[in-house]
Amino acid sequence: MTLGLVILAVVLIGGLYMAWGIGANDVANAMGTSVGSGALTLLGAIILAGVLEFGGAVLIGSSVTETISKGIVDTALFDTSGRWGEQGPTMLALGMLCALIAAAGWLHVATHIGLPVSTTHSIVGAVVGIGLVSFGLSGIDWGTMGQIVASWVVSPLLGGLLAFISFWAIRRYILGSTDPVRATVRTAPYIVGGVAAVMVLSFIYKVLKNRMDVPPIVLALGVALSAGLLAGVLTAAFTRSLAPAPGMKSFDFVERVFALLQIGTACFVAFAHGANDVANAVGPVAAVVSLYRAGFEAVPAEVTVPLWVLVLGGGGIVLGLATLGYRVIATIGKQITEITPTRGFSAEFGAATTVLLASSMGLPVSTTHTLVGAVIGVGFARGIGALNLRIIRNIVNSWLATVPVAAGGAALLFFIARLFVG
Amino acid sequence: MEAVVRPIIALFGKSPFGPLAQHAEQVRATVELTRPLVESFLAGDRDRTVELYERISKLEHKADIIKNDIRDHLPKSLLMPVDRGDVLTFLKEQDSLADRAEDLGVLVTMRDTRAPDTMRQSVMALVDAVNEAASAWFRVAAELPTLEGASFAGPEVDRMMEQIKKISNLEWEADKRQAEATRVMFDQEAEIGPVSVVLWMNIFRALGSVADHAENTADLLRVMLAKR
Repeated sequence: MTLGLVILAVVLIGGLYMAWGIGANDVANAMGTSVGSGALTLLGAIILAGVLEFGGAVLIGSSVTETISKGIVDTALFDTSGRWGEQGPTMLALGMLCALIAAAGWLHVATHIGLPVSTTHSIVGAVVGIGLVSFGLSGIDWGTMGQIVASWVVSPLLGGLLAFISFWAIRRYILGSTDPVRATVRTAPYIVGGVAAVMVLSFIYKVLKNRMDVPPIVLALGVALSAGLLAGVLTAAFTRSLAPAPGMKSFDFVERVFALLQIGTACFVAFAHGANDVANAVGPVAAVVSLYRAGFEAVPAEVTVPLWVLVLGGGGIVLGLATLGYRVIATIGKQITEITPTRGFSAEFGAATTVLLASSMGLPVSTTHTLVGAVIGVGFARGIGALNLRIIRNIVNSWLATVPVAAGGAALLFFIARLFVG
Repeated sequence: MEAVVRPIIALFGKSPFGPLAQHAEQVRATVELTRPLVESFLAGDRDRTVELYERISKLEHKADIIKNDIRDHLPKSLLMPVDRGDVLTFLKEQDSLADRAEDLGVLVTMRDTRAPDTMRQSVMALVDAVNEAASAWFRVAAELPTLEGASFAGPEVDRMMEQIKKISNLEWEADKRQAEATRVMFDQEAEIGPVSVVLWMNIFRALGSVADHAENTADLLRVMLAKR
């Protein structure tokens, strides 16, 4: 029992540390494009990111958190009837702690040697390591794991496809029209309305799903469409008065307007990022907390993630953002100047929609890799001067390295810890 | 912590369009000197001719440096809004304007050739026509970053297409001036002698080919704009 308390205390500190690291590093990848394109000032980016990361984590974060806390490893095997008998639940808690420490440790090392490693791949790899070292291949829920790995391939592709379509449409119907100024003023309300509807739909659906028995898709759709309509009408009232300054090139005007629209997609990205990535920090925490509540006497089959755990994760992300993340955002913003608001808008829309979709399906994907896919999608629509496609190889390499290393590290830690505890 | 090679930063390569416009600017500075060069050659001011040639040669070398720098930043793994092969051919064509200007400089400093006053007018008309075609191209080239910003679509592109079409007219004009200058020169062939005839032929050819390359470069941009 005292051991359980120690595990709980350490996992809380570990989860907070991991959330801090996500806030310090990963938020920058998502917000950097907005600062780089001049759509947001640094201060604006920090405030919006803080609010929306926290909101995404608390409102939508539970699905992915559940996946990491009990979807990957077959937790039933740790029950008192299993291999370790009464020790089982404590062992699961210990394993989750080891997974968290291994993932955080690997991220630390990888960051030092300059490897572009995803927090998502680290934590998933580490949790897999615990399952494997405890029960071999049967310790893993391969159905869930298969979906997760598939989502790692699909998410950059889907992000890229959506971004390609977005920019293709902007290029075809706005930049390429005979009067881009008029086309912008006319289409902006639809664009804002569409983005608002997608965003509201995803989170209304999720919030209602937890509170109602019937799948409230009709209600959710209704609310989302109304929100989209409202956003569209407000935008129309605003854009009607917009006109290019004398002597301004038409596409410069388009970019000026899209700098405003991109604030919306930047919020969307921050929201989606919080929703997906909070789990990387608090997934193991949620597992340990539910075991603690059961007095480490059983492995609860059905437990929802406590709100305070998500608040802890969201708070940690905001803390990381406030202490270090803003500096990283500024650095990235300075280095990415090739991306203009129309391009940034398209990439962010594609990435955020994909990540949010994955989040509501409980799939932990890499926000950064999805965003990379989305930017490449814009490139294929002739949006960006030069993109270095060699990065794709680096990303694949980073998966191939991260998952086994994190798994091996977690397994080793767990093995050593058991020598002292078991 | 900040030393991480971030995929999102590593993703962005160096866009060739700004540097291509820079290269055009360097080539413009080179080609611009052909007028004073031919003027001082016609005036028989050998010191000034040599001095101008040396300036052309230095400027041409700088254009080469920019050209090679652009090439070095275009690996095969780069995704661009235009075909990589088109960009490389384009660069080579644009660089040829400066090369031909330098060739002209070599020709006029090689030998102390005198031109009869009757040739002056037709030669300068050729020089002016060539420079007009070339500077029409340089005005388009300066807008390359604009094209990138407009994602190669829209009214900016239409406007540039119009200008590109004008360049081929100007090149045709230069061709006619070249024929005219050659004809006037042959009228004096007895007076200027066979060796000078050969030299003049080469001078005219070098000048004419500056306009040719301006047209070719413009046509390559047209191909890039028309694709997809």
